Amino acid sequence: MPLTLLAVSIALYCAGGIASLLLPERSASRITAISGGLAAVAGVAASLPVLIDGSTVSAVLPGPFSFAHFVVRLDPLAALMVLAISLLAAAAAVFGVAYVEEEYASRGVGAMGFFMNLFIASMLLVVVSDNAMWFIVFFEMMSLMSYFLVVFEQDEEAIGAGWLYFLIAHAGAMLVLIAFLVLFARTGSLDFAAFRNAALPPPLAAAVFMLAFIGFGAKAGMMPLHVWLPRAHPAAPSHASALLSGVMIKIGIFGIVKVGIDLLGAVEIWWGVVVLGFGVVSAVLGVSYALAERDIKRLLAYSSVENVGIILMGVGIGMIGIAVHQPVLAALGLLAGFYHLLNHAVFKSLLFLGAGAVISRVHTKDMGQMGGLLRLMPWTGLAFLVGALSICAIPPLNGFVSEWFAYQSLFVAALHGSLLLQLVAPLAAAMLAIASALALMCFVKAFGVAFSGEPRSVSAAAAKEVTWPMLAGMGLLAVCSIGLGVGAPLVAPVLSHVAAALTAVSIDVANGAVVFPDDPGIGQLSTPLLAVLLIGLATVPLIIASMFSGRRLRPRIGAEVWACGYAPDAGMSVSAGGFAEPVKVLFRPLYAVRSWADDRLAATRPWFAAIPATAARTEQCWDRWLIAPLGRGLALAGAQMQALQGGDLRIYCLYIVAALIVLLAVAIG
Amino acid sequence: MPNLEQWVLMIGQAAALLFLAPIVSGFSRVLRAKIHSRTGPGLLQDYRDILKLLKRQEVVPEGAGFIFRAMPFVLMTALLVIAMALPVLTLASPFNAIGNLFTLVYLLALVRFFFSLSGIDSGSTFAGIGASRETTMGALMEPVILLALFVAALLAGSTNLGQISVSFAALSGTSMAAELVVTAAVAFAVFVEMGKVPYDMAEAEQELQEGPLTEYSGPGLALLKWSMSLKQIVMAAILIGVFVPFGAAASVTAGALVWAALVFLVKLAIVFLVVALIENSAARNRFFMTSRATWAGFGIATLALVFYLVGL
Repeated sequence: MPLTLLAVSIALYCAGGIASLLLPERSASRITAISGGLAAVAGVAASLPVLIDGSTVSAVLPGPFSFAHFVVRLDPLAALMVLAISLLAAAAAVFGVAYVEEEYASRGVGAMGFFMNLFIASMLLVVVSDNAMWFIVFFEMMSLMSYFLVVFEQDEEAIGAGWLYFLIAHAGAMLVLIAFLVLFARTGSLDFAAFRNAALPPPLAAAVFMLAFIGFGAKAGMMPLHVWLPRAHPAAPSHASALLSGVMIKIGIFGIVKVGIDLLGAVEIWWGVVVLGFGVVSAVLGVSYALAERDIKRLLAYSSVENVGIILMGVGIGMIGIAVHQPVLAALGLLAGFYHLLNHAVFKSLLFLGAGAVISRVHTKDMGQMGGLLRLMPWTGLAFLVGALSICAIPPLNGFVSEWFAYQSLFVAALHGSLLLQLVAPLAAAMLAIASALALMCFVKAFGVAFSGEPRSVSAAAAKEVTWPMLAGMGLLAVCSIGLGVGAPLVAPVLSHVAAALTAVSIDVANGAVVFPDDPGIGQLSTPLLAVLLIGLATVPLIIASMFSGRRLRPRIGAEVWACGYAPDAGMSVSAGGFAEPVKVLFRPLYAVRSWADDRLAATRPWFAAIPATAARTEQCWDRWLIAPLGRGLALAGAQMQALQGGDLRIYCLYIVAALIVLLAVAIG
Repeated sequence: MPNLEQWVLMIGQAAALLFLAPIVSGFSRVLRAKIHSRTGPGLLQDYRDILKLLKRQEVVPEGAGFIFRAMPFVLMTALLVIAMALPVLTLASPFNAIGNLFTLVYLLALVRFFFSLSGIDSGSTFAGIGASRETTMGALMEPVILLALFVAALLAGSTNLGQISVSFAALSGTSMAAELVVTAAVAFAVFVEMGKVPYDMAEAEQELQEGPLTEYSGPGLALLKWSMSLKQIVMAAILIGVFVPFGAAASVTAGALVWAALVFLVKLAIVFLVVALIENSAARNRFFMTSRATWAGFGIATLALVFYLVGL
């Protein structure tokens, strides 16, 4: 039954996509939204029974290739991905119907619907494929469809970003392909079922894992393979960005879990440590760069790098737990990772939709041109606030619950682990604390500069609330954010089935309204109670404030702010760059790269008094230290290689003769 | 869900801390005056200030929105939830499901989020800078607090604050040196979070006109002043209740609770005496120098981890 529903869902996406391409524009956006919405409902219906039972359903379908059967397998992990994809697809479909009509009228609405729906369908197919060939085919199809969404704007930035994205996605897929081919060479089958029983010798298993880890890591946008992410995600239309950041990068995480744990069994402890290490680095650096951004969508994209890091930390602890035969630790780490995966999917796409709504009204991505939008677009602002609170892990919202589980898994690792873990886990927890404190700063800045205070530009002052379909899309995700947090005692056991399916041991995580990491003595959390207390105790300050209310004058609204006696001006309030400045000074090593921008600034200052654009764009230390030398190295190697191909026909003949002699020698010898 | 006894304890200690808060900040003012050789205001001056402010008109800046208006309410609410969760009079937390160290750290983040956001929302220059500093302090201090509490939790074998307090009271941890060093790290973090000189970065009175408080007036300011005092007493209660819990009630009986309350008041007076001595004998730190002190704090917390690992 779940598989039938899944097939219905995929068929609806494909049908809607093709119809969108053929129909006239006005009906195209409608048909995309309707088919997307229905398909999403079918997808949710397909995934929920599997998640709740923790069972696995699979089927072998006839395919055109004799060497690769089309095996479909909906296990709890795949079901979690299907749920996340469907949920976001529903929100994007509802949001998109109004957004596309307003923003992209007569600019290829039909094509966008086609790429959008096929992108979602290919993601669904990737996660349920249980055969290496089909997996790669759908994985590449997903990259291709999303490439078209990235370059949709057809401006210079979008095309450049798309090209970079395409290259890195493709390189990653090649590494994954090599990993699969190694497994194929050992087992003689392309089915994942055969890979699971491959019993590779340890060095080969490690090589396969590292290939897959780097390949999928590039897709997930982990540091230092993230360079494409902050360029590609902002370039796409906002509802596509929501899907790119919300679920597509999670396919990378899915792949790491699939190969590292499901296929290879996470046999060695250092695999998990590597994953944990990359997670920590991504979390701290990702959010540091997010903080330095002025462009709201780039800020959100960098913050995705951070959250991928947090998910990888959970997955890393899970892999360590499997390797050291502590199944409870393994299940806890994976639970934290998967919970955060689902949560991040929800709140990040909420934030991207919110950013899209704002951009559609203010017509700029620069937060410095926004301001005061909470009063002009109250519902969008409220939805964005819920997303910002969730991503800052503010209790009792969903981001908090998953970070709480991440901390608990680190704690259990430190409590029962080897000396290495006892040292690494507390420091990783401290790094997670830095990351989440910087995330708080980042989103106080994002919300504050965009939505609070006075409007900072004419277009911001003229902004109007968006139409109801866009609000409904954001509202759906905001409700999910609150529900996944307050409803943690209901959600955590379901997600523990996903972890249990990989660790073969089920842990006890909830009792009544309380969640805990298997043992209530280790730690307890009750988000429903927190929610009740936070609402109930608000009566205390309300009562205090209402005292003497009859004896005081009514509030005077619209006073000028205190500016030491001068006339206040919107330009006096703190700017996006100024807000983050203390961190840039105090964490200077992380931003050392800034000095490059400053160099250029200093050189041009005599002629151009103000050249804010140079400093506004965060220079990438990866670009400078990693990508640029790599590019130069390749160019140099290419120049050397040109000597081989000098254009002299006699030399070419010599090559042919030499090759013949070598081949003959090989054939005879 | 908590039972009746737990509800009584939770509400009782939150109410006690709430009503004690203006007296404690009044106590700080009395001590300050004494150190300055002034007569100074009485112990109840902060109560009088709050009552006066409640009768005054509220003035709201033009650009300010819903966040600015809501912040004093959110602040007090969140701090009351923390006050309910801490082990204050009893060794165990009144209710474990909210008395967890990670929950505590993130409830403080909730306070910080709205406090700094209101600064930007007010549209004031000073409040915006104060907001930026408040969140920066968060980025500097959160790892210190978290690592220190994490090591304490490792010593106790549980992340529930109640269990940590029980373990510290019994001195049953495996490493005495780690317990001492971790208490020092937490004491440092608590002091910085109280927002007193030399670390009054966000609310720097002489420099930033009290930062995010700049634009508040009337009942909003009254609630905010009260909440700031409440935050100080809650931070002190974290140190006293969790790390120096000697004298707290092991079981909930009337006699034990009264004794625990007396001991708590004495310890509170000692903490604020020490705080007053520090804040009145130090000059304000330059903001960009703060990170040296906070990295030293992180070093102390790391040292505690090392002591725990070697079992000293």
